[in-house]
Amino acid sequence: MVNVNFEHVSKRYEDGFEAVKGLSLEVRDGEFLVLLGPSGCGKSTTLRMLAGLEEVTDGTISIDGVTVNHLPAGARGLGMVFQSYALYPHMTVRDNMTFGLRMAKGKERLSEAEINTRVKETANMLELSEHLGKKPKELSGGQRQRVALGRALIRRPQVLLMDEPLSNLDAELRHQMRQEIRRLHDELGTTTIYVTHDQIEAMTLADRVAILDQGVLQQHAPPLEAYKQPANEFVESFLCRHLDDLVDTANTLLRSDAQEGGN
Amino acid sequence: MISETTVRRWYVPVEVETLRRWLLVSFIVNLVLLSIDMLRGGGMGLQMGFLGLVVIGLLINTLPEESSPSSRNTSLVLGGGVLLIGLVRFMMTPMTAFDAWMQAWLIGPGALTILWVSSPPVTAWSTRTLSLKAVEYGLERNQRYGPRLRAFGAHLVLLHFVVLTLLPLLWILDIALSPGNALGGSLGGPYTGEHFSNMLGSDAFWTWMRNSLIVSIGTTLLGLVVAIPAGYAFSRYKFTGRDVSMFAFLLVQMFPGIIILVPYFLVMKSLGLLNSHLGLILAYCVTALPLCVWMLKGFFDTVPRELEEAALLDGCNQFQVFTKVVLPLSLPAVAVTALFSFLAAWNEFLLALTFNTSNDMYTLPVGLASMISSTGQAWGDFAAASLLVSLPVALLFLFFQKFLIEGLSAGGVKG
Repeated sequence: MVNVNFEHVSKRYEDGFEAVKGLSLEVRDGEFLVLLGPSGCGKSTTLRMLAGLEEVTDGTISIDGVTVNHLPAGARGLGMVFQSYALYPHMTVRDNMTFGLRMAKGKERLSEAEINTRVKETANMLELSEHLGKKPKELSGGQRQRVALGRALIRRPQVLLMDEPLSNLDAELRHQMRQEIRRLHDELGTTTIYVTHDQIEAMTLADRVAILDQGVLQQHAPPLEAYKQPANEFVESFLCRHLDDLVDTANTLLRSDAQEGGN
Repeated sequence: MISETTVRRWYVPVEVETLRRWLLVSFIVNLVLLSIDMLRGGGMGLQMGFLGLVVIGLLINTLPEESSPSSRNTSLVLGGGVLLIGLVRFMMTPMTAFDAWMQAWLIGPGALTILWVSSPPVTAWSTRTLSLKAVEYGLERNQRYGPRLRAFGAHLVLLHFVVLTLLPLLWILDIALSPGNALGGSLGGPYTGEHFSNMLGSDAFWTWMRNSLIVSIGTTLLGLVVAIPAGYAFSRYKFTGRDVSMFAFLLVQMFPGIIILVPYFLVMKSLGLLNSHLGLILAYCVTALPLCVWMLKGFFDTVPRELEEAALLDGCNQFQVFTKVVLPLSLPAVAVTALFSFLAAWNEFLLALTFNTSNDMYTLPVGLASMISSTGQAWGDFAAASLLVSLPVALLFLFFQKFLIEGLSAGGVKG
């Protein structure tokens, strides 16, 4: 059981700005949770606090029942995919992926043979086998994204974190990667927390979405439920109306297409 | 629809275009050569050169235009004039390398003008007897030859700069290889390696070399050990007094060296560091550090923070993040800073002269200077030694060239 728990978590910066206000959230084992909201709503800060990249001002974050507030980032057993991929430019794809494994200490340390098996496994899963010897700058955007994913997954993380991983890709690739990410999640069953501002991504990927605005949790529910029964005005306008607009546009286009066909 | 007149208006033969550019270049070169000639006290050659300059100036203004045969003819006459002036100067003045050079810049442009202005394409163009087909072909021809001619002209000009920069070096080489100790050298005369073997065989030279190496390498190492963490801290952490100390760093650099020389001397004296390597190393570090720290900070600023965060999640501690991710990425910048400190220490003269007064503590620059005063101005040995001194630096540059270019165009770190 790997569940993640936020209890009354707040984040206040030195200049007094409060990015996250009293957030309580429970992520179940094996769940795909999407943190959704406009930019500046605190979704990334929430993720970064869980990752150990930001300090928690108030409240507790626990993974598996263990409070991790003061655990260093590397000790939390997490894998993270960054928006800019953040691949190490001076290392090959293989070294990028194995860097974390080689940093492990004591009992967690893997033998060279085990590391190689893991690389082979992960590379196969992400179709990276031919690129293992290349440097990141020789790869396309989609390939870099997959390397970043591989680097996070190869450690078999308890929780996989993704911070707007698709926003640097073009529409076609984004669509592909979205399916890929969902497929990986279904295969591996890793508890996943995914940050995005894209409603479509949230609707298609999530088991449950947590919608945030100005540091406050607005609604925490399965996507369809949030769409059908928005908890408040904000969810209504940010999620429901946006999706309805998309549907309307599509319908209008189809209708005019049908009319032209009729003539 | 493009009308025929438009096409015609856009067509100027490549010869005329090129002449316009090259004549301007030759005008400027002649002007420079003329001023040098004037310093030499040129006499008749100077007058001819001046005349040539005026005619070239006129020629630039009368280059052929379309449908104007008269401008073509005038250009031909003026081109002939330049050629003639060059030839007259050639016959009048004694031949030194410099004179030959000057005449080449008169005869060359003159001959080229006559050759090109009288060529069929230019003649036909200036008398407006070209058919539209011929104009179209001419445009294609321009595109084919234009870039090549432009490149050739550019290289010709750049070659002059290369010669100008190399000239002093060649002069020193000449002195170093000539027998005797004259400053003039023997230009093409019998050459000897005696000055080099003199220097390489002298104990003093090797003592100076040793001192210079110790001081320069010491400065580089100590500088890097201090500058790398300092630059990183300035780049990544916010702390009280950060901006003030960054500025204070620069403040030290704003004083002319001569002003801090006396205080430095007193400090070194009271620390008992006169006539020691450590004293010089410390002093050089102080002068080289600010720039090193600023340069490194600038580079660290370009390393994305997300890269460090990824390393944190991969299980690095703060120190490992720095040594395993940030530092390997910053190697070009570090190399540039190292080279900079090394050079600053290697070439420094004033502090070394003041601090280290005993013979066996001289660095190379001070040692070289002492050769001129004490052993009766041994210019040959001096020149040989200067070349030997610049050799390690030249090698360093060759070796670090790749890094240098990368480091100076820093900021190429993208994920």
